[in-house]
Amino acid sequence: MIGLVRAELTKFRSVRGWLVGCGIAVVLMVLLAVVAAAGTDARVGGPGARAELPRASDGTPVLDGFTFLQQPLAGDGTLTVRVASLTGVALRPPTPDEPVPTEREEATPEPWAKAGLIIKDGTTPGSPYAAVMVTGSHGVRLQHDFIHDLAGPADARWLRLVRRGGTVTAYASTDGAAWTTVGSAPLATGEMSAGIFVATPPHQEYEQFVGGTSVVGGGAIATGTFDNLTGPGGDWTMVDVGADDSPNRPEGTSTRTGDTFVLRGGGDIAPVDGGTGPKLEQTLSGGFLALTVLAVLGVLFVTTEYRRGMVRTTFAATPSRVRVLAAKSVVLGGVTFAVGLVAATAALLVGTAIRGDNAYPADALTQVRIVVGTAALIAVATVLALAIGTILRRGAGAVAAVVVLITLPYILSAAAVLPAATADWVLRITPAAAFAVQQTVPEWPQVDQAYTPAFGFFPLPAWGGFAVLCAWTALALAIAAALLRRRDA
Amino acid sequence: MEATIEVNGLRKAYGSTVALDGMTFTVTPGRVTAFVGPNGAGKSTTMRVVLGLDRVDAGTALVGGRPYRSLRTPLRHVGALLDASALHPARSGRDHLLWQAHSQGLPGQRVDEVLTLTGLADVGRRRAGGYSLGMRQRLGVAGALLGDPPVLMLDEPFNGLDPEGIRWMRGFLRALAAEGRAVLVSSHLMSELQDTAGHLVVVGRGKVVADTSVADLIAAASSDRVTLRTTARTEAMTALARVGATVAVTERDTLTVDGLPADRVVTVLSEAGVPFSEIAAHRATLEEAYMELTRDAVEFRATEVAR
Amino acid sequence: MRSALYAEWTKLRTTAGPFWLVVLAAVLTTALSAVAARAVSCAATGCGVDAPLVALTGVQLGQAVVAVLAVMVVGDEYRTGMIRTTLAATPSRAILLGAKSLVVAGATLAAAVPGVLGAWLAGRLIMPGRGFTAEHGYAPLSLTDGGTLRAFAGSALYLTLVALLSLGIAAAVRDAPTGVGVVLGVLYMAPILVAVVSDPDWVRRLRQIMPSDAGTAILHTVDLPSLPIGPWPGLGVLALWSAGALLLGGLLLRLRDA
Repeated sequence: MIGLVRAELTKFRSVRGWLVGCGIAVVLMVLLAVVAAAGTDARVGGPGARAELPRASDGTPVLDGFTFLQQPLAGDGTLTVRVASLTGVALRPPTPDEPVPTEREEATPEPWAKAGLIIKDGTTPGSPYAAVMVTGSHGVRLQHDFIHDLAGPADARWLRLVRRGGTVTAYASTDGAAWTTVGSAPLATGEMSAGIFVATPPHQEYEQFVGGTSVVGGGAIATGTFDNLTGPGGDWTMVDVGADDSPNRPEGTSTRTGDTFVLRGGGDIAPVDGGTGPKLEQTLSGGFLALTVLAVLGVLFVTTEYRRGMVRTTFAATPSRVRVLAAKSVVLGGVTFAVGLVAATAALLVGTAIRGDNAYPADALTQVRIVVGTAALIAVATVLALAIGTILRRGAGAVAAVVVLITLPYILSAAAVLPAATADWVLRITPAAAFAVQQTVPEWPQVDQAYTPAFGFFPLPAWGGFAVLCAWTALALAIAAALLRRRDA
Repeated sequence: MEATIEVNGLRKAYGSTVALDGMTFTVTPGRVTAFVGPNGAGKSTTMRVVLGLDRVDAGTALVGGRPYRSLRTPLRHVGALLDASALHPARSGRDHLLWQAHSQGLPGQRVDEVLTLTGLADVGRRRAGGYSLGMRQRLGVAGALLGDPPVLMLDEPFNGLDPEGIRWMRGFLRALAAEGRAVLVSSHLMSELQDTAGHLVVVGRGKVVADTSVADLIAAASSDRVTLRTTARTEAMTALARVGATVAVTERDTLTVDGLPADRVVTVLSEAGVPFSEIAAHRATLEEAYMELTRDAVEFRATEVAR
Repeated sequence: MRSALYAEWTKLRTTAGPFWLVVLAAVLTTALSAVAARAVSCAATGCGVDAPLVALTGVQLGQAVVAVLAVMVVGDEYRTGMIRTTLAATPSRAILLGAKSLVVAGATLAAAVPGVLGAWLAGRLIMPGRGFTAEHGYAPLSLTDGGTLRAFAGSALYLTLVALLSLGIAAAVRDAPTGVGVVLGVLYMAPILVAVVSDPDWVRRLRQIMPSDAGTAILHTVDLPSLPIGPWPGLGVLALWSAGALLLGGLLLRLRDA
């Protein structure tokens, strides 16, 4: 078998055009990285987001803005409140006729509108916190460090935060008498601010139509009514956290009538979703072109043997045709994986050099995963091309079949030609599912967003999607092997 | 139009490899011109240039006095067989000829005529991919004859033919020439054209080495050599040596005599009273004459393999 | 020219491949359109869906088959070596490529017309069941409607121009698999580039010059002013690409040894 692999390797490297093809694949991939990077003017967090977003402890860019009625909390302490009501008003998006956002009639809060208790290390956006809250339609939640979210009872209205040393524990209750523990979160010791807050993400409507997706966004205002409030003691002061950073946000207000407090405002405490802004995998979008070039090589690697009757020489030298197919697959997969690795690495480095860090952050492990994953995607797709070329024995049809199988579903889904639901299953069952290995942006359960292919979110996890491509390739290889055995050379 | 191929000063190089180096010759009507030379001598390249398929760095190639690319219905002027396997395997032989006929404005019935002429009438409707090499050669010849052209140009038409096919092809070529056509046939095996060609263009390394009639070439290559069979070997040697001939013993009772024509040998032996049973004048074969000519022009020569 | 055309037509109809590719192109165009028509839905008035555009989704798939058909018309001749016989029969490269273009255009139309009509039928039959009803502001797809007719007739023209682009590229690269790779790379690159590049000016410019994006402007029937390029000018851009490819292919055919 080793001799056979060496024979096929010799065949591959002795055709100059194929080596040129490998070079072209690398060049195209880098070229597209340059175009993608140079053509990017978007920012993480969407248009209008500020350049330096606050970060969670793991570097995730976050939003940190809310209406905060607070007292200082030096050490341990307990906060309790009843959220009497949480309502919301969505603002119409500004239009050329009405540049000032107007309020809509409906008074249902956004699903992730928040009202509750929070202990936060000061009022600077991005500082550590722990909060327990009632939400618009997700029940009671305990959240801390922006990225952590824990569900509590669905119908509780009474909230309590207890700070002991470096831990904050949250409780919820329906009647203020029987309390259940929601969970606990770590929080540093020292003097912090503690109190009640209100926040709401903006109102967004996703419209996916044939040929594109639009996100129509308007601001939103949430109104929280609190009573039975007990805090550490001292004066209640209101802070509109993060207001300086987002001037368009509705102004936060706080009013007190007896023991009833009403907080009103916008903003949100949550991770920024990566769907709308620049993403790191965009520098690897040339992978599709590299794949097309190498798929042509993969097809030619077998069809040229049939063209000049060379296949008879090959099979005379190695009567076991399945082993020939295996050797060809190993050589082709190995060579194209190496080419893909070089191309993807170069594309990522060049793209990053041009655009700087203007992309949704991805840790080193993720970066390695998308580079290696892209190379593996290209390699397996090329082997799929080899198998289809063996089945069809016609180069042109085989190339078209491979490109259509892998690229067309991706285009139809990612370019939002297909409705989101259709795109979702297309990217589960077609070989295009493998493009999931390039996804860097995470889905946040605590953020409402269109987690659709059009925004770079794949229905399957990275290696799950890759496995779909592998399954297709294995099936094609099996058919090719069976046909090879049955057919005359 | 006159039935000629005029090739004048063709030069062509692929990088540093010179394929044609001043190739010049003329093919005239009424005879078969053999275009011979070792592999790589430039025969096929010259034919491709004549057909306007390849471009040249210098020189001209004219068919009936006109460059090929200027012909509107070229197959009525020149019929050519270059590569018999150059057909679509899924198309039937008849359809392969049909599209060529249509390209020249020829009727479909002409296709059936040439199929019959080349003995393919029975297999014309089968897919050409299943043809043997010999059948493909016949199909190629049929294609060359489609336009009833005054000039025919065939590249290695004997390749893949069985003995019966070779005999057929020879007779066919002679008949075509006898009709007054100019016929150029290339081959790297001289023996195939021994009894067919009237004229020879021998090429080597991209240029013409000899442009001569077959009779002249053989005469030039044949020397006075007589083979003699006799029981009285010593007496014969003595008698012949006396009149100045060089005599060599080849077998127990066979001698070869150089330097004397056959009739003189007979006279000398009769006068000396030496008995002989057989005397034969040697005539060089076309093959030998050709080998002699191209000895220096062979590009690739087999070397003895040391074992 | 006439006899060259006749010869090319004879070539095309005497192998089975082109016939089945024509059938395949028509069937796949209709099939994907039917799937897309089944997949969309319209819940209320103003759902913003361009109904004819949905019904023509299959063109995205049909163009791949059409490209294969066109590329093979040249690529097969180089594969078998028959190109030398062809050029010996028709020495004028311009006439040869012209004849091939006409035959390919004819074959493509033979695939595109039934394919597009099938797509129309699929849209007309399926889409009303998906909420594209009169109450939601959608009349059944009708070819007597100006915009709809333009989209459907234009998509047949689009496919024809794609075939000619493929033919030119095939004549330039002289190898069928490579030709298909180049054609599909060029056609499918545009949507991916547009998805990656975020600068709106860049996107607009790209969509004006890329053959598939500009060419498919003809498929749109609503909100035309918001398109980067109008339907007919868009088809014109694609025609320029096709003409350029044919010119390049013809020039190389003239300059190179066969």
